[in-house]
Amino acid sequence: MIGSVCVTQSPVSPSFLLHFRTAEPLEYHRSFLKENCRPDGRELSEFRTTTLNIGSISTADGSALVKVGNTTVICGIKAELANPTVEAPGKGYIVPNVDLPPLCSSRFRPGPPGEQAQAASQFIADVIESSEVIQTEDLCIERGKLCWVLYCDMMCLDYDGNVLDACVVALLAALKNTQLPEVTVNTETCTPGVTLEKRHGLRINKHPVATSFCIFDDSILIVDPTAEEESLATAQLTVVTDEEDRLYSLHKPGGTSLSGQKLQECISRATARQREIQKLINKVIHSVKTAQ
Amino acid sequence: MAGLELLSDQGYRLDGRKATELRKVQARMGVFAQADGSAYLEQGNTKALAVVYGPHEMRGSRSRTLHDRAVINCQYSMATFSTAERKRRPHGDRKSTEMSLHLKQTFEAAVMTQLYPRSQIDIYVKILQSDGGNYSVCVNAATLAVIDAGIPMRDYVCACTVGFVDETPLADLCYAEESGGVSSLALALLPRGGQIALLQMDARLHQDHLETLIEAAMTACKGVSKVLDEVVRQHLQEVSVLTGE
Repeated sequence: MIGSVCVTQSPVSPSFLLHFRTAEPLEYHRSFLKENCRPDGRELSEFRTTTLNIGSISTADGSALVKVGNTTVICGIKAELANPTVEAPGKGYIVPNVDLPPLCSSRFRPGPPGEQAQAASQFIADVIESSEVIQTEDLCIERGKLCWVLYCDMMCLDYDGNVLDACVVALLAALKNTQLPEVTVNTETCTPGVTLEKRHGLRINKHPVATSFCIFDDSILIVDPTAEEESLATAQLTVVTDEEDRLYSLHKPGGTSLSGQKLQECISRATARQREIQKLINKVIHSVKTAQ
Repeated sequence: MAGLELLSDQGYRLDGRKATELRKVQARMGVFAQADGSAYLEQGNTKALAVVYGPHEMRGSRSRTLHDRAVINCQYSMATFSTAERKRRPHGDRKSTEMSLHLKQTFEAAVMTQLYPRSQIDIYVKILQSDGGNYSVCVNAATLAVIDAGIPMRDYVCACTVGFVDETPLADLCYAEESGGVSSLALALLPRGGQIALLQMDARLHQDHLETLIEAAMTACKGVSKVLDEVVRQHLQEVSVLTGE
């Protein structure tokens, strides 16, 4: 009886569906996946609507707000002057941080950052390092003496699954929006002088974009999972690629196994997604420029 | 007053406002899907986000449970990129702990907590961009979020800061004015009955001036309440159109 429920054909009362969803969430999702669709009306390989807003925080050096469906992530970038490390005197550095505060979902508790937030921060740090989205040499002002540190704080404001993808888009858009003031070092006194009026954008070399998947019942692949789908799935997978189809990260934290062929499908979906996002970012940046 | 002239001879302030003029308030309710209630509020260049969860069962230590009313739990935090200088600790420092406590006290005075015994209401407020009047903007945003969550309150809680310069009270201070050494006062008001939910002043002021200052703050709060009321009505109208009622 339960297996035969399908919204498109039989007229079922909405309250019944609601109770069904609460009582048997897994069966509820299965009944949709059997018909190759999802409870929110998407196809299996369809992303939720992604919207982007850049430069909304004027106190930050660069900022972006990304919404993927209900999931909302804001990224603010603050640049500070610092001394380069001894090991890399010709390089600046980037410090990413992902925050999942209790305001974004009732599943997070107040207190120090949880495991998921720390894992996400590390994931973002790895993507930045492997993709060299910015050449850290560009952040050096005076070798061994002065460099920029970019603090990239990504904060989830509404958690409905797939934060990693949203974080990467927010980070990339915020970096593209970042304007650093010009710094000159006085050779006689060795003191830096900052010209706040003259600002330059950063040179973005690569455009890494993450695409996340969930595996249902060991076989069905769905893209861009919601929070509910994430909690019911048997495995998760995140692919990061750039515009030249180079892979920067393939992250599959445990769960059920995945065949090589399925993995190829994921990668080709990820490259398509990369194009969509890069187009979106360029469009938004262009519209901001023309508005000014 | 050294340095900046906060009030010109013509009666204009640094940002061109008149002494009793408020900054532009823009707000939206129901911005997020996960929360029971949420609101985003911009007051001039200060931007705040408030989210309400609850009333729900007590979480964490059950010993805090009150048997005759709900516990209100507030957390105030500032985004690391909200200020000119990067904030090292978004929450948990003394200033934000004090702010959380003040918000809690304000809402304990306004929310009808006796309707929800043995439960908890979480109010989380985040400053995304700060330009003065953080406390009042948070209170105003949180009021909208509590209304959005459908939790009964005695009245709107509206807050405003007021400063005192050249014998004139200035309403709704911005950061430049706040940091210019003005004696300022923050007031949270339940406007309909004119009841004060919270009043805080930690600057020197002659007691003869206190009354005028409170008077000005109350007028400013009533101005804010009009705007908030407008936002709530607008929101309800939009929602009722969507649900077809």
